[in-house]
Amino acid sequence: MATNMRGLTQFIADIRGARVRELEEKRINKEMANIRKKFKDGNLDGYQKKKYVAKIIFTYILGYKVDVGHMEAVNLISSPKYSEKQIGYLAVTLLMHENSDLLRLVVNSIRKDLDENNEVNNCLALHAIANVGSNEMAEALAEDVHRLLISPTSQNFVRKKAALTLLRMYRKHPDVIPAAEWALRIVSIMDDADLGVVVSVTSLIMALAQDHLEAYAVCYQKSIDRLHRLVVDHEYTAQYAYYRVPSPWLQVKLFRLLQYYPPTEDPTLRSVINNVIQTVMNNSMETSRNVQHNNAQNAVLFEAIALAIHLDTNSSLVTNAAVLLARFISSKETNVRYLGLDTMAHLAGRTESLDAIKKHQTTIIQSLRDKDISVRRRALDLLFSMCDLDNSELIVGELLRYLKVADYALREEMVLKIAILTEKYATSYKWYVDTILELIAAAGDHVGEEVWYRVIQIVTNTMDLQAYAARVTLEYLKTPTAHESLVKVGGYVLGEYGHLIANEPGSSPIEQFQVLHTKSQFCLAATRALLLSTYIKWVNVFPEIKHHLLNVFDRYRHVLDVDLQQRACEYYALASRPEDDELLQNVCEEIPPFPPRESALVHRLNRKLGDTESKRTWVHGGKEANLERELTQRKKILPAEPASRTTTGSADVGNVMDSLAGLDLTSSSNGAAAATDPSSIFAQLSKPINPTAPRLTTGPNIDRWFEKLTTSADGVLYEDVQVQIGIKSRYQGHLGQIAIYVGNKVPVPLTSFTAVVHVSDPDTLLASFAKLPPSTIAPRAQTQLLLQVECKKFFSALPSITISFLAGAQQSVTLQLPILVTKFFEHVSLGAADFFERWKLIGGPPRESQLVFPITLTEEGGLDQERYRQVVSGHRLNLLDGVDPNPNNLVGAGILHTSVDGKVGCLLRFEPNRDAQMCRITVRSTSEDVATEVQKLISRALSRAPS
Amino acid sequence: MIHAVLIFNTSGVSRLIKFYTTPQKSPQLLVEKIFSLVSSRSQALCNFLDAPELDSFLNHPSMAGERLQIIYRNYATLYFVFVVDSSESELGILDLIQVFVESLDRAFENVCELDLVFNFDEAHHILSEVVQGGVVLETSVDEIQTAIEQASQARQKSFSSSNPLALGSGNKISRNAVIQTPLGWLAGRFGATGLR
Repeated sequence: MATNMRGLTQFIADIRGARVRELEEKRINKEMANIRKKFKDGNLDGYQKKKYVAKIIFTYILGYKVDVGHMEAVNLISSPKYSEKQIGYLAVTLLMHENSDLLRLVVNSIRKDLDENNEVNNCLALHAIANVGSNEMAEALAEDVHRLLISPTSQNFVRKKAALTLLRMYRKHPDVIPAAEWALRIVSIMDDADLGVVVSVTSLIMALAQDHLEAYAVCYQKSIDRLHRLVVDHEYTAQYAYYRVPSPWLQVKLFRLLQYYPPTEDPTLRSVINNVIQTVMNNSMETSRNVQHNNAQNAVLFEAIALAIHLDTNSSLVTNAAVLLARFISSKETNVRYLGLDTMAHLAGRTESLDAIKKHQTTIIQSLRDKDISVRRRALDLLFSMCDLDNSELIVGELLRYLKVADYALREEMVLKIAILTEKYATSYKWYVDTILELIAAAGDHVGEEVWYRVIQIVTNTMDLQAYAARVTLEYLKTPTAHESLVKVGGYVLGEYGHLIANEPGSSPIEQFQVLHTKSQFCLAATRALLLSTYIKWVNVFPEIKHHLLNVFDRYRHVLDVDLQQRACEYYALASRPEDDELLQNVCEEIPPFPPRESALVHRLNRKLGDTESKRTWVHGGKEANLERELTQRKKILPAEPASRTTTGSADVGNVMDSLAGLDLTSSSNGAAAATDPSSIFAQLSKPINPTAPRLTTGPNIDRWFEKLTTSADGVLYEDVQVQIGIKSRYQGHLGQIAIYVGNKVPVPLTSFTAVVHVSDPDTLLASFAKLPPSTIAPRAQTQLLLQVECKKFFSALPSITISFLAGAQQSVTLQLPILVTKFFEHVSLGAADFFERWKLIGGPPRESQLVFPITLTEEGGLDQERYRQVVSGHRLNLLDGVDPNPNNLVGAGILHTSVDGKVGCLLRFEPNRDAQMCRITVRSTSEDVATEVQKLISRALSRAPS
Repeated sequence: MIHAVLIFNTSGVSRLIKFYTTPQKSPQLLVEKIFSLVSSRSQALCNFLDAPELDSFLNHPSMAGERLQIIYRNYATLYFVFVVDSSESELGILDLIQVFVESLDRAFENVCELDLVFNFDEAHHILSEVVQGGVVLETSVDEIQTAIEQASQARQKSFSSSNPLALGSGNKISRNAVIQTPLGWLAGRFGATGLR
């Protein structure tokens, strides 16, 4: 401890004793000079070095710049004494940053400390990398750090530091971490018994999963399982209860991690997570007097609500949450009000119907006048998000009124938001122009160029608006304090459309000229240049005031500003040409409409708020804003998406942007029509990410076991020295229940047990576990996983299951599940007449599938009738005896049950020929796909040599 | 991510500064800025503050547009301030400040400002057990205390080794043992020499 060094204590006491800042500086300068001298002389022992470096650190903490001692700190790191090492590391992490050249010198010492069999030194090294880790360090040390994380001999306190160190390396230098390759191993740590380790590793996974959603998909299930154990089962050690709330940090992180993934469609996961969220919400009902307890509970609650909103905005959970939020936004506690508004803005940004929020509109508007600026900001965000066609006039009106008294820090953002809302939800042209001009008048200095450019663009592109705009602008210009932006708008609008109102009282050409020209003297050169252009346009349309205008040009011919002078000269020459000259007319043609383009405002706002690297899972603004953002993000993550899909995606985005950009008032419901086809975007978004199944485990036995299971309901699926996996299945109609038994054959528990089912297309086949698989299997024990499947349509791709666990090292097997389409067949009995009638009705190709292939005979040289019958009936076709005149032939019939496409009939005829050692199989079905698939499955099974 | 942890007193004198992203300007200026933002807020206001003012201090090109937030808590004469981005839960950080303070309190037995002044290195060590590289490391006060004790044990050992009257090399610390019995210490020592 610092107090062990007397010189240091004295130094600190001296500085504390300094009455004024000058004395303090003097004392520090003296000390630094002394230290510099000592270092220069060299020959210091470890203790002295430590003492001087500690003094330097103290000086740094006081806020002084220090430029000595870096080298000595580096030396201290390699000291064998922990106390010296510790100060050395502290100095390095405080005084250096990642780009310091000196860091190169410590890489080797750090590696030595990492590799040492001494945890406290490991920790110092890890901590240093996590704080100042440079690219070089990441490259050199990533492997060592990873080893410390996964090694079974590492202590928990080392592992959690290693996890965060990896995180830092990944952030700084993602290439050095083979994130996808390490995925399963890292995710398996989420099952660790030590919650401290779990918190750290979850932070790591949050960063990795954002870039590798698919590789880390298993963490979805793990997170839900962990949340369930924490919240519902209360499974945690006492030291991780923070004021009676089980590790709120972990809960918050897990809830957030789940929001990175698209909502799951697995009914089991869904019901578990809903149960967790409901429990969290119920817990929050009982508030205690303890501030810390409430804090922690609310931290969890707000994150849980955010997840509920993410999962499904129409769920009853969200309805309950809206009620809770309504209570929060009028809470006495400022923190709660703040977060209530923040979360409500999230809800508003997602939900289909804003009704629940609109009920509290008055409260929210009142929050704009809260005494805390933080709360006011959130209220502003919320109003921005909840604005739609119905309440836009009210909300924009409120915002405008508030703008006039708002804090300076808020104004610029407010102006942008008001401008965007006005454009997006304009109910009439008149309102749009009124509002924007009022906005410019009220907050001139905070109005960016984009705002008035946009007004011009819209006025130019909208014929009906032009006269009105000219009229209103002129009114505003008549006020004594018109802002320069207003003068610019006025200059442009009156120049182009002033003639439209020239016959109205108070707007005669000369009056327009006088109003505008009196403002000109207070304006910048750029604005004056714009006014000169206005005047030349007027020369064309208002010949009656030509001499006034010529006068102005004449005077400007002598100003010092080159641009103004040139303009004036050119305009003067142009205006002085004879009356019948057409040049002026041609030059002053009406400005053509602007090409439709994206509103620069939205751009600007986004830049201002920043697309926060997907850290936040939503943005302020309406639903479309969020959709669009997700879409771009999804594209970023899934570069391998098929091209067709990506292009449709971007086309949709384009549409959305276009309709946002143009103030399209032709349809009365413009704002709502903004998203041209939100359903298509939704369809893409709501498609959950299906982890692509890892490569199948292979082996001769595996194929044999699998074949057996294709025709029987029970059997072994897989077996090795550690596990045995067996299956028992039952099918009825389009539903099936498959019990998968996993037996642990070794005398140690299998930990971090994970089972994931991969289905290639959930639209045809659904498969989900009835409940979450357990995370451990006790030694020599068996666990049962119940898999429920539903056949929705015909399918041919088989689902597979990946089972992974830790037994010393990470083990994982991926196996095809014997869930064939024929498992969903049910018997049907037909007489000979019926059979052949249907056979003919279906007819030949394409609804028939036929194959001729060789068969092997039995040892006696006969047909293996027994096996043929077994294969056909194993595929759940009813063998119809006495239908075919040839007794050697087999005839079968079955009906495929699907929940979406209904029932599909299927007929089979099998004709073996002993002499030719050939056979012919013919399958007819009302569905071509079914005929082909059944033919393939059965002929494959039959052509295989009998086992 | 947590970008900075600052402790300063009610007159704006900094007591602990720790940056997890390299500041672009002088740390002292940043402390002054934050102090002026925070000290003017009354107790009844919330503990969170949007801080677009800090962008120029902590913003790197790599995190352009990141929205920074100040989350602070006032204990007696000290302000504990965390500068975080939007990936952190506001209340979560507030809880974390509480954990940090409780850990300091355990280590110093009724922590006061002077403890932080004279034991600035220890304060940093405690912080490093709570936050590492801008991410929450440990949240259990017990665990933090254990880690701190472990480090101070290691330090004492190396300290006694620098004392000529002490026996042994001391830089070889036996694993696991939190409190060492003389016998264990001897055994560790023999083991250590045996290795060389």
